[in-house]
Amino acid sequence: MEEERGAAARDATVLDGNAIAALLGEIFGGSEMTSATRGCGSCGQSHPIGEHRLYRGAGLVLRCPGCGDVALVVVERGGEAVREVQLLGRWQVAVG
Amino acid sequence: MATPGAPLVAPVPLVWRLVTVVEVVDETPHARTLALDVPDWPGHVAGQHLDVRLTAEDGYVAERSYSIASAPEDARVALTVERIDDGEVSPYLAGELVVGDQFEVRGPVGGHFTWRAQDGGPLLLVAGGSGLVPLMAMVRHRAARASGAATELLVSSREREAVLYRDELERLASAEDGLNVVYTLTRSRPAGWSGYARRVDAPMLAEVGPAASASPRVFVCGPTPFVEAVADALVSLGHAAENVHTERFGPTGG
Ligand SMILES: Cc1cc2nc3c(=O)[nH]c(=O)nc-3n(C[C@H](O)[C@H](O)[C@H](O)COP(=O)(O)OP(=O)(O)OC[C@H]3O[C@@H](n4cnc5c(N)ncnc54)[C@H](O)[C@@H]3O)c2cc1C
Ligand SMILES: [Zn+2]
Repeated sequence: MEEERGAAARDATVLDGNAIAALLGEIFGGSEMTSATRGCGSCGQSHPIGEHRLYRGAGLVLRCPGCGDVALVVVERGGEAVREVQLLGRWQVAVG
Repeated sequence: MATPGAPLVAPVPLVWRLVTVVEVVDETPHARTLALDVPDWPGHVAGQHLDVRLTAEDGYVAERSYSIASAPEDARVALTVERIDDGEVSPYLAGELVVGDQFEVRGPVGGHFTWRAQDGGPLLLVAGGSGLVPLMAMVRHRAARASGAATELLVSSREREAVLYRDELERLASAEDGLNVVYTLTRSRPAGWSGYARRVDAPMLAEVGPAASASPRVFVCGPTPFVEAVADALVSLGHAAENVHTERFGPTGG
C-alpha cells in the first residue's frame, strides 16, 4: 500500500473528488457530495470526498487520501445506458 | 469544519445548458477569459466549477471541467482557460472559439472547494498556473462583499507574462483592505523582480503566512504535482488537514 501511495503521489494525472462533483450529484440524487465526509474502513480516518484521490481509466476509482483504500468505483457499460457503482466505507450523506 | 453531511450548497438539477460566448478577453499569450450568457443561471459559490461539453459534427463528445472565475456578484459568468497545445478541448476554448459560439455546460457544482464571505478568514490561497481561476472568484467575491477577511494570495507562475489577472490583482491589493498578493516565478527572474523566483516550498509558505497557529482556511489549486507539493509543505508547517482544501487540475499548466 505504501508503494502504491508513493506512485500515486507522483502521478500528475491524478485528480480529486471535486472533479466528479457532477457525477456524484447524479448518483446521489442531486446532493452536493464533495463536502460530505467518508469514514474509511481501512485506516479509520475521515476525509471530505473532495480530498479523495481520483484515478481515471476504463472506469473511475476514488481512493482514501489517508491509505489509498478504494472508496468508489464507477464503470459505465454500453455507452451510458448502465452505470455500475461500488461504494466502500461510511459515506455521510446530507438529507433534506 | 462543517458538520458532516450539512448541505453547504443547495442541490442543483444537473441539466446541460447551451451557453453563448458574449466576450473573449486575452489574459496572457496562453489563456483567455470567456464571458458567457447562461440561460436560467442558478447562481454560484466562489470556487465552484462547470462541466463543459463539446460535441463535434460527427457526434464525438468531449467533457472537461472549468472553474468559474467570476464572483457570484458579477453580472456575467466567466471562465478562464489556459491553452494546452496538444489538448483536445482547451485549444478550442482558448484559441479557435469566437464571440457568438455556443457550447453546453452543467453546474455549477462543488461544495468542498468553496468559500463564502460569511465563512470568514484568515485565508491562505495558493495558486499554481490556471489554479488561480477559482481562487480569483473567491478574491473577487471577498471584494464585492467588502469582507475584509485577512487574505494572503500566493501566485506561482512560470513567468511574469503568464500571471493571470495581473492588473486586477494589483488594483485589488492596492485597496489595502486585508488582501496581500505575493508572486513567485518558477522559470525566470525579470530584471528588478522583487517577488520570489522558485517553486513554492515550506519556508516560502511560512514567510507568506498566516501561521498554522492562526488556523487559516487554506485553498490550494493548480496542476496535481503543484498541489501535492504545497499540501505536503503545509502539513509540515503544522496546518491541520481539515483546514487545507485542495483541488487538482491534472498535469496541465504550471
Ligand atoms: C475541477 C477542475 C477545474 C478545472 N478548471 C480549470 C480552469 O479553470 N482553467 C483551465 O485552463 N483548466 C482547468 N482545468 C483543467 C481542464 O479540465 C482540462 O484538463 C485542461 O483544459 C486540458 O484539457 P485538454 O482537453 O485541452 O487536454 P487533454 O486532451 O485532456 O490533454 C492533452 C494531453 O496532454 C497531456 N498533458 C496536458 N498537460 C500536460 C503537461 N503539462 N505535461 C505533460 N502532459 C500534459 C494530457 O495528459 C493529455 O495526454 C480544471 C480541471 C478540473 C478537474
Ligand atoms: Zn483510508
